[in-house]
Amino acid sequence: MIKISNLEKIYRTEEVETVALNKLNIEVKEGEFVAIMGPSGCGKSTLLNILGLLDDPDAGSYLFNGIEVAHFNERKRAELRKHNIGFVFQSFNLIDELTVYENVELPLIYTGVKAADRKSRVEYVLDKMQIMHRRKHYPQQLSGGQQQRVAVARAVVNQPKLILADEPTGNLDSSNGNEVMQLLTDLNEQGTTIIMVTHSEHDAKFSHRIIRMLDGQTVMENFLA
Amino acid sequence: MIRNYFKITLRNLWKNKAFTAINIFGLAIGIAASIVIMLFVSFENSFDKVHSKNIYRLNEVQKFEGMVQAQNVALSMYPMGPTLLSEFPEIKNFTRVRQTEKLDLNNGDLRIILPALLYVDSTFLELFDFKLLIGNRADVLQNPNSIVLTEESAKKLFADKDPIGQTLKKFVGDTITYTVTGIIENVPENSHLQFNALATFSTIVRPRDKDNWGGNWLITYLELEENTDIVALEQKFPDYLKKYMAESEGWKFYELFLQPLSTVHSGSADITHDYLNFKKFDKKYTAIFSIVAFIILLIAGINFMNLSTARSVERSREVGIRKTIGAERYQLAAQFLGESLLLSIAALLIALTVVKLSLPAINELSQRELSLPLNDFPLLLSILAGTLILGLFAGIYPALYLSSFNPIRVLKGALYTGKSKSTLRNALVVGQFTGAILLIIGTVFALRQLQFMQTQDPGFNKDQVVIIPLNRVTSQKYETLKSELLKKADIIAVTAAQQRLGNNLHQAGMRFHGDGPIRELTSSQVIVDPDYLSLYDIPVIAGRNFTKEESDNARAYIINETMAKELLEDPLRTDYESLIGKKYGFGGMDSIGFIAGVTKDFNFNSLHHKIETLSIFCQKDWGFAEVSVKVNGAKLEEALRNISDSWKEVNQDQPFEYSFLDEHFEEMYTADRAVGKVVSILAGLAILISCLGLFGLALYSAERRVKEIGIRKVLGASVQNITAMLSGDFIKLVLISTLIAWPVAWFGVRRWLQDFAYRVEMDIWIFIAAGCIALLIALLTVSLHAVKAAVANPVKSLRTE
Repeated sequence: MIKISNLEKIYRTEEVETVALNKLNIEVKEGEFVAIMGPSGCGKSTLLNILGLLDDPDAGSYLFNGIEVAHFNERKRAELRKHNIGFVFQSFNLIDELTVYENVELPLIYTGVKAADRKSRVEYVLDKMQIMHRRKHYPQQLSGGQQQRVAVARAVVNQPKLILADEPTGNLDSSNGNEVMQLLTDLNEQGTTIIMVTHSEHDAKFSHRIIRMLDGQTVMENFLA
Repeated sequence: MIRNYFKITLRNLWKNKAFTAINIFGLAIGIAASIVIMLFVSFENSFDKVHSKNIYRLNEVQKFEGMVQAQNVALSMYPMGPTLLSEFPEIKNFTRVRQTEKLDLNNGDLRIILPALLYVDSTFLELFDFKLLIGNRADVLQNPNSIVLTEESAKKLFADKDPIGQTLKKFVGDTITYTVTGIIENVPENSHLQFNALATFSTIVRPRDKDNWGGNWLITYLELEENTDIVALEQKFPDYLKKYMAESEGWKFYELFLQPLSTVHSGSADITHDYLNFKKFDKKYTAIFSIVAFIILLIAGINFMNLSTARSVERSREVGIRKTIGAERYQLAAQFLGESLLLSIAALLIALTVVKLSLPAINELSQRELSLPLNDFPLLLSILAGTLILGLFAGIYPALYLSSFNPIRVLKGALYTGKSKSTLRNALVVGQFTGAILLIIGTVFALRQLQFMQTQDPGFNKDQVVIIPLNRVTSQKYETLKSELLKKADIIAVTAAQQRLGNNLHQAGMRFHGDGPIRELTSSQVIVDPDYLSLYDIPVIAGRNFTKEESDNARAYIINETMAKELLEDPLRTDYESLIGKKYGFGGMDSIGFIAGVTKDFNFNSLHHKIETLSIFCQKDWGFAEVSVKVNGAKLEEALRNISDSWKEVNQDQPFEYSFLDEHFEEMYTADRAVGKVVSILAGLAILISCLGLFGLALYSAERRVKEIGIRKVLGASVQNITAMLSGDFIKLVLISTLIAWPVAWFGVRRWLQDFAYRVEMDIWIFIAAGCIALLIALLTVSLHAVKAAVANPVKSLRTE
């Protein structure tokens, strides 16, 4: 599903040049659950942003479902992104002014789903995430675990093929964290490909494969399943 | 999607109440001010628009010898209409108009005073499209002694009776009988010609008027062929005048020019003796209003832009999330633009309410009958369109800016506080304050000039003078009235004149016979009772005042200094004294007159005008138009009662009317005063809106720098340090604005003051004071937040990060 080769990303300021990704090669197959680990500054978040089509690489190739997307312009990237990729963030990133229901509904609006269809799909995922009873609440009224479940619901409501999770349990206590990990595992079992950046060895154990990075390169791959 | 935007917009606005209130309130003020100005301007532009013919007013430039400067007058001569019609094929028709003094009519026992009767040619209703309600348009003004009444006049005179064919007589004096031939619609407010009745010119024309070249006592309107080349036509007028005024050589003193009907109301600022020009208003002021309204709107728009971009920090996360889950840039831009449109519509609703509520006060101030017709669909639509354009203009930049955010960076918390953004914001703040300071300076000068004109010593004493109008009957009893009045207590002096101070005095050709050749000059003239100069405290600086001797009556002239200076050009004259006793008098008469004295110059007109040459003449037999009674100001009520008693004793059946001279002088400046008030209100609003904007910016700036302030405090910065740091940025901007505003204001004010013959000094301190005021207001506004931010506990702000 994903194949990147010789991917480079370099951040330049006036005086310093930081190599975030250094001729990186990674392949992820459809249905895989991959965890990316590594110390701060090793390039994992940069990688996730490029995989998520939020950022573009300076060099190298990125094949998404066989299509070269490395040099897509913003419009094309946005188009591809909204139909295929869901995001889960460490800090949830829910919109405070919208209710739980409205937050989850938002991606459907941007992909142009009709209002009638939206309702059933939003209710379906809210139900699945067990936060249906909270649908009229605003994010601030929820616990961290509940907020992250809303974020996961929002990520999956469009039925994306790929979910990118950036330290999804980073702001949660262990029981809430486990719940979220269980949700991701369930989704993976239903066929969604998941790439997750994490610092937690515990969380990484939910995945099939752990990629360890250092200084913009992969240093080790562990297959768990 | 729209619903989602709408929802989030409303919640967002509600959450940021301060921002919302500042924006909506500022925009509402700007829109309200603009709507009012728009109503005013469109009312001004609507003057005389109902008439469909290609009508021009014939005006003269008069440049007689002895006049300080040539003058444009809205007057012409009786024979001009018919001769112009016969000479020039491009002239299709003409009508002449003459306003009488108010007409005192009676219908049996009922006595009605019509303030404005116009004598007009039979063609009047051919040129002008005033709506005739009863009568045949072609006939009603055909015969002498015909009168056409307005609906209102007819109702007053005849109540519900059929007025057609009824006769009316003047209450006093010669007994012209008028027959009512038609009823015309009441004259609309936006007509420069105002009348209660029209009577045929032939009623009052004397045979000698037909060839009276040189007598300017009426107004001529011409109907021209469409597409007439006005300039070419005007170029033929000198030859025309030469042809008809060859005998008297009068053509030397006249030029003729044509003024389109549409500009008579607003384009006649430089035309004097313009007696039939209702609510005459200089279009220059209308332009000033429009410019100021535009500045206010601009300031409000800038507020909006600044506050929206200043809030980008808060909105950036939302932008990031939306982009991540699939929003495209145009969708986000549309969302933000929608927000600004929603805000501007909310502002519009408030503005409409404000306008509706404040219209009575505005009408009082502007002396207009403005209305906001909420059923006038095109008007409302254009206001709505204007508002949306404003919303679009104010919202487009923030929308493009906010929607450009890179989601990765904003979600990581990287703040967009780029230098270039704040540079633009700063430039806009400078623009706002430059506008506000300009308005402060302009307002101060406008008010000072006004104050100056009203308090400036005009050279005579106008206090405690009661003016009583006379008509043909009562003026014959003037001497009796005067002696009766002087017997009463609290009446200090009594005099009379044919014209009132503070009006354009009539002009006459004068003849001076010194030792050289006879000189023909023109000067303003006023015919007075011998006590005139003493009642008004006008000092005689050479020669003597009038005496009550019979030898002075109809012979003695007193001239003003300006005239005396003019006469001193005579070769043998060296000082004012040398003019005394020289032969002088009205040009038309075989003069047996002489110069008895010279007065110090006094402003017999408003201070818009320079002092012209003046001849004061003592002539008891010609009758007076007004009595001036100087009373004891401490016992005004008693004095007025005594005047009224004396009047009743002398003129039993005549009504007693009076006014105060100083009120008349205040009225002269009504237009100036209204302009002054309007401009100061607008300037106040501009400053208010600017400060609202600054308030908002300071608020966000303090919020944005909370962490920085915390760190600085931990490192030892005092409250004063922090306050100075936060305020300093804004103060710098206001200082720059001041520097820009000064030269602009200097040129603007100088240009404006040039229109006044007597004007205030361009004091530097006003410029400095205006800058200081702006600075002070800005400082107060900003420091409120700065202090609040500075005294906050740093531990709190650092912990929340």
